[in-house]
Amino acid sequence: MCLGIPMQVVAIDQYVARCAAKGVERDVSLFMLMNDEVKVGDFVMVHVGYAIQIMTEADARSTWELLDQVLAAEPLPNA
Amino acid sequence: MSSTTTAQEWLERLRHLPLEQPLRLMNVCGGHERSITQAGIRSLLPDMVELIPGPGCPVCVCPEEAIYAAIQYALHHPVTLVAFGDMLRVPVNVPKGEVRSLEEAKAQGGDVRPIASPTEAVAIAAAQPERRVVFLAAGFETTTAPIAAMLAQGAPENLLVLSAARLTWPAVAMLLQSDTPGFEALIAPGHVATVMGPEEWSFVVERHGLAAAIAGFSPESLLAATWSVVRQSVEQRPFLDNCYGELVRPGGNRRGKALLDEVFEVVDAPWRGIGIIPASGYALRGDYRRHDVLNQLPDYAAEQRRRAGEMPPGCDCAKVVLGKIYPIACRLYGEACTPRTPVGPCMVSDEGACRIWWSAGHRQHST
Ligand code: SF4
Repeated sequence: MCLGIPMQVVAIDQYVARCAAKGVERDVSLFMLMNDEVKVGDFVMVHVGYAIQIMTEADARSTWELLDQVLAAEPLPNA
Repeated sequence: MSSTTTAQEWLERLRHLPLEQPLRLMNVCGGHERSITQAGIRSLLPDMVELIPGPGCPVCVCPEEAIYAAIQYALHHPVTLVAFGDMLRVPVNVPKGEVRSLEEAKAQGGDVRPIASPTEAVAIAAAQPERRVVFLAAGFETTTAPIAAMLAQGAPENLLVLSAARLTWPAVAMLLQSDTPGFEALIAPGHVATVMGPEEWSFVVERHGLAAAIAGFSPESLLAATWSVVRQSVEQRPFLDNCYGELVRPGGNRRGKALLDEVFEVVDAPWRGIGIIPASGYALRGDYRRHDVLNQLPDYAAEQRRRAGEMPPGCDCAKVVLGKIYPIACRLYGEACTPRTPVGPCMVSDEGACRIWWSAGHRQHST
């Protein structure tokens, strides 16, 4: 549950952002970032469905690569 | 240092540091431990540098009493019980034949549902306003801030919280105040610092004179932090380094922290198998107490039971969590205890050191 996943903001409706990562789309709460201005196209680090910080595209991409390796290395038996 | 330095280059730099005595580094984050173990970083480090997994698994230290209470709610009350998926297989200490996990409670007909986000708890509660939904909320700051956001934004009144949320740094402070901390430098957790700010960890340097660096989750960031603390130790100039500047900013996520302060107060709290750690737990504050499960349902956690609050018999999770032993030193590791038949929470949770070591291919018990 502690895995943070970078996602790109596709659309924003008040505090909820439609976000995408590697072809998967999800609703993400922006409630923890309200004071910062999140824009469509921005990258955010998502933790348990909440964006916890804005990040750069380069950092998002390198984290995706890392997650690919982690998930490839470990088939989760009870996932 | 530039962020384009490769893992190989960091290792090279590490080997060139004139370290004269063994140095033990502790990491306090399951995500760190996973990257370290999967990349095989331990075997690449200079012999004198030891990297020890410490308190980095909120599921592992979630009070046994809280899980026991959650099981009783699911079995004996008309409620929906929601919890992060990891929590469902964590066993409690009950006599043979009794229900010992939320998964078993579900098999007995309890309405137990795994969730991946607090927003799912809200959706479930909103969809059935006449039914209570109890959220067994375990997690460190990175999870608790979203839970605070969930409540501050306005959760349905039928959503009740059983808080088992914990702060990370007090466990490190407790170790450092003990006679045998077991480490001389700290790799601080990247996402906790993203939310809470790097400043929380300066006590390690200022009060205890130890080297410290905040790391991200790539091998490069972890090695940069490792190099930093080894260099700080060699030069005897400890400071709090930030090797995860991509996300960790001064002050952290101010809104996240404000939400935590608004919804929760910090209280002394029990850690499973370890005992009470001062100022290490989050309890609902003020008006938010109306979401406290104890307002509406009995306090099963306070029941007198044999081995309440302890780890399962024979399980060394508490020692693993405190960095006193490596997972493979537990007598049950890989024998009675595997991810398929987990004896303790450290083998259940994705953040548990036993589970992480097993997944990375350590199959043998060894002392
Ligand atoms: S191997 Fe199993 S029994 Fe031993 S400490 Fe880890 S979880 Fe507990």
